[in-house]
Amino acid sequence: MENSAELKKSRKARDRKRALVAYSFIAPNFIGFAVFTLVPIVCAFALGFLKWDGNNPIQFAGLENFKKLSGDSMFWASLKNTIIYCIGTVPLTMIASLALAIILNQKIKARGIFRTVAFFPYVASLVAITAVWAMIFHPSKGPVNAVLYYVFHMEELPNWFGKDLILLTLILFSMWKYMGYYMVIYLAGLQGISAELYEAASLDGAGTWQKFRYVTWPQLRPTTFFVVVMLTINCFKVYDIAIMLAGGADGRLGTSSTVLVYYIYQKAFVEWDLGYSSAIAMVLFLLVLIITLIQFRGNAKYENS
Amino acid sequence: MKKKLVSMLLAAAMCVTAFAGCGSSTGDDAKGDDTAKEDKEEKEEEVQEEVSAGSDTVVGADDASTVLKWAIWDAKTATYWEAVAQAYVDKNPEVRIEMTDLGSADYQTVLSTELSGSGSDFDVVTIKDVPGYATLVSKGVLEPLGDRIEADGVDLSLYNGMTDQVTVDGELYELPFRNDFWVLYYNKDLFDDAGVAYPTNDMTLEQYDELARAVAKEGFGDEQVYGSHYHTWRSAVQLFGVLDGQHTVLDGNYDFTKPYYEMVKKQEEDGICRSYVDTNASQLHYSAAFSEGNTATMNMGTWFISTLIPSLASGEYDSELCGNWGIVKYPHPEGVEAGTTIGQLTSLAIPTVSDQKDAAWDFIKFAGGEEGAAAVAATGAFPAVMSDKVIEQLASMEGFPTDEASKEALQTSNVYLEAPYASNVAEINTILDTYHKDIMNGDISIDDGIQKMNEEVSGLK
Repeated sequence: MENSAELKKSRKARDRKRALVAYSFIAPNFIGFAVFTLVPIVCAFALGFLKWDGNNPIQFAGLENFKKLSGDSMFWASLKNTIIYCIGTVPLTMIASLALAIILNQKIKARGIFRTVAFFPYVASLVAITAVWAMIFHPSKGPVNAVLYYVFHMEELPNWFGKDLILLTLILFSMWKYMGYYMVIYLAGLQGISAELYEAASLDGAGTWQKFRYVTWPQLRPTTFFVVVMLTINCFKVYDIAIMLAGGADGRLGTSSTVLVYYIYQKAFVEWDLGYSSAIAMVLFLLVLIITLIQFRGNAKYENS
Repeated sequence: MKKKLVSMLLAAAMCVTAFAGCGSSTGDDAKGDDTAKEDKEEKEEEVQEEVSAGSDTVVGADDASTVLKWAIWDAKTATYWEAVAQAYVDKNPEVRIEMTDLGSADYQTVLSTELSGSGSDFDVVTIKDVPGYATLVSKGVLEPLGDRIEADGVDLSLYNGMTDQVTVDGELYELPFRNDFWVLYYNKDLFDDAGVAYPTNDMTLEQYDELARAVAKEGFGDEQVYGSHYHTWRSAVQLFGVLDGQHTVLDGNYDFTKPYYEMVKKQEEDGICRSYVDTNASQLHYSAAFSEGNTATMNMGTWFISTLIPSLASGEYDSELCGNWGIVKYPHPEGVEAGTTIGQLTSLAIPTVSDQKDAAWDFIKFAGGEEGAAAVAATGAFPAVMSDKVIEQLASMEGFPTDEASKEALQTSNVYLEAPYASNVAEINTILDTYHKDIMNGDISIDDGIQKMNEEVSGLK
């Protein structure tokens, strides 16, 4: 009796020590996160209800900042563009990276080279590749429009940076840049699928499509979930790509290409309206939160069924 | 037991490395001779390197009793900073001036971030434009200069009315240092080839439009000659409208800009100038546009002179293509005096956090005064004080066009700032820039764009 109590006690002490070691490993990262991310996020929430320019005394603004949002056409344009960009980029990138992964998972010649090629846009410098894209899609000198003109005899050449197409250009660029990265994640997922499943499916007479539909796709569901969540969050954060591709020499975005993060930056660090920009940031945060929650809910439902 | 020790050590090591990153910035205060020396060594090694933002240039003795820290941009390409500092130090050997390059592209943003809170150690800051000035004034981080100006009897009339346009409720927070104004650059060879007479120092915008059309030539590749070129800035198009002195960008109604948008868009349509869409997509710099040798005229600020002359001298620009250039006064609307133009003021100010305000003021007074002007003009840049002596000095610079008209073009009659002071000028600028881009990009019609400007600017509080 006494013995077992002592045993329990020593086990408890050991557990505590173990936990302590674990925490000490987490601590450096967590302290950094708390100081540089968590506290600022909480402050940003508070700022949304204040009026502050970074120097003068802070004033309480109540819901003023949020009321201002409804009548701000630049804000609505930014919101609209960001959402369209996400709706376009997330599924396209997901499909492209999955297709690439499946193709490059086959035993084909020079597979390594093709994988590297597909991954390359992700590691290449954004500044350099946006400059190349701007050249390729240049309205009067770019090869894309040259092909449209000389091969397809198109009279009205499209302006890839104009109102109607700029978002499409951004979506195509993002898909091309990010598909390599998500391809790698999908490849890992594909390699985790047991060969026995395919064997069993073959024995049951399943064709290629059926194998994909009933083995690959369900087995990849956790991977797809991860990819979609990460893609969505990254898409809502878009800023650099828009500035580099649509901003021209002076890095300014018009109403056709403005995105939320650009507008937040503009309001905060050019106009120094920190309260208002925090309010916009909160809208962005809520948007991402809601969409992510829906995705998690959907995933949980699927997992239970 | 041993394992535990190792894991504890590991954890401790990780903690230390995690904090090492933040710890290093506390050493900033000790920045001084060492950094300066390092920088100098670096410079010698990487002469051809791009300008790195945040690097320091130091002028003056190591053992100077007063050290002034000055925020600037483009230390390597613009030589006037160092020239003025050197001239001041020659006269005041007890002072050392340390210039920190914050980079040109987002200078005002970096500066206002630096001056937020009390962490800055600048004694003198350069103010790049009026919106940036307005931001800093409303943040309350600049020292008012009115009393000092009065006490020392600084003659503001030297600045040709500029200081009135940046006076805030009767108080001045900056002293002009440099003043660039817009002129019309032209390529004489292209005019000779086309057999068209050169532009003159008194042209209405209508005459300018005709001239651009006369000299332009449609053609393939090298054959193409553009009669005019407009950089993507709003000031290159919209601000023809403020030359009449009746309007400013603060008006709230921008119907007065319509004729100028129409003139430029029509030129674009007719292939007289490069389209905005092309210029924007290629991120074409105005200096590249002019030095390609197929641009007959280009409206641009006088700062381009101090790029053009050394670049031609060094062979970076082909003098076959653009070496035979000249300038004339800015074209103006009918009924406006010749020599009326828009100006871009660069000023110096003292941050409230500086602990050497008297020393800083003495330097600012020097840099903005006639002695500073002479030092600036010697490098080919335009000082805020434009006396006849300064104009003579600039026009006799090696590489400056030798014709009389170009020299005369340096005489201005009225200079209107791109934006005069208003507390919300930064917000107005954002709105105007957005719809300028929309109009020029063809996303929206001129009328709709101007209406949007009107609506949104009047919606500001």
